[in-house]
Amino acid sequence: MVNEELKQDDSEYEEREQDDSKVLETALAAGHILLENGAEIARVEETMERICRHFGVESGNFFVLSNGIFATGSRKPDSPGGQYAKVQHIPVKGAQLDKVVAVNQLSREVAEGRYSLEQVQEKLEQIRRMPRKSFPVQILASGLGSACFCYLFGGSLADSLVAFAAGFLLYVFVLMVRESRISKITKNICGGALVTFLCILSYGLGLGDNLSHMVIGSIIPLVPGVAFTNGIRDIADGDYISGAVRLLDAILVFLCIAIGVGVTFIVYHRVFGGILL
Amino acid sequence: MIGQTIAAALGTVAFSVLFGVPRKYYGYCGLVGGAGWCLYSILTVYTACTAVEATFFAAFLVVLLSRFLAVWEKCPATVFLTAGVFPLVPGTGIYWTAYYLVTDRPAEAADNGFAAVKAAFAIVLGIVLVFEVPDSFFKMKNK
Repeated sequence: MVNEELKQDDSEYEEREQDDSKVLETALAAGHILLENGAEIARVEETMERICRHFGVESGNFFVLSNGIFATGSRKPDSPGGQYAKVQHIPVKGAQLDKVVAVNQLSREVAEGRYSLEQVQEKLEQIRRMPRKSFPVQILASGLGSACFCYLFGGSLADSLVAFAAGFLLYVFVLMVRESRISKITKNICGGALVTFLCILSYGLGLGDNLSHMVIGSIIPLVPGVAFTNGIRDIADGDYISGAVRLLDAILVFLCIAIGVGVTFIVYHRVFGGILL
Repeated sequence: MIGQTIAAALGTVAFSVLFGVPRKYYGYCGLVGGAGWCLYSILTVYTACTAVEATFFAAFLVVLLSRFLAVWEKCPATVFLTAGVFPLVPGTGIYWTAYYLVTDRPAEAADNGFAAVKAAFAIVLGIVLVFEVPDSFFKMKNK
């Protein structure tokens, strides 16, 4: 009798056990999407904990860094066996904020109890597959952004038109090398150099009035906005390691852009002589 | 100045497209970016504010608006903030620093580099300060 009861308990327990690892798996998937697409560390941790708590896993523990998640959990802190543990490495990629918004919305709805675990998993899979903006749209946006910022920093309309073309071509380059294995450092130095070269070229052809304004406008699409703001917010939240890594990332990119611009000017100077500008 | 503010708003929208912000928030992003730049240029032109002080107040406004919109639209503030601070990022300073460095004018390079770092810190301060305000404050105002 007692044995049977125990057995029953055991089978129920096993079922739960599986469920628990599924819950943790789901929480991890949500955290993965958030981290990859430019959410702050605090948000990643909070979302994962929220999902776990809602589905009854009390002892989920998460440690989130800017490029990895460590998760452990079990039904009860002192439950024997059946511990769940997983480490996931998440390389830094280009942010896609609509995915962060979608997961945030999902976690809100989960907390309201609208979904079963399977539905949540399905939704996460859908979010993971959300497409990026198409290449033409991204390239046009980069051109428009460059033109606007060129005008903003004091360029004339002619300057802005050149900046549009330079920003346009810059993003063609960026998209071409995005999936390649070239390091971020090289990519950004090349990006900065390309933009400067294009602007010097058009300036030499008599297009545009002020070389500086054209270059300033066109390098803006390279500026690492997401890394910069997130780094600051992580540090403000006390997540110093992740914040420092993200800020370092941003500073490195800034430096590389400057190197690219500078080197191109030096080469131009050496080849054609004369005073710059 | 009106032309520049429109350019700031449009530019912000362009970058929110690049960052993959959902389409329905483009307008808000433009508003945030435009408002930030507008305040910045008003402060630098009409008051005794230095560029760094103006950057701080403009960043403050940008983050404040982002958080209001975040509560209002129930989505992360990052969405509006990331593109919204772009007009304030000292891109000009970085360019001139690089330029003076390669043209062998270290004094000017140092001046410009230092100014860029100060502006960056002004943005940092703006972001950190506004995120100290608890969420409930923004909710109260909405009711």
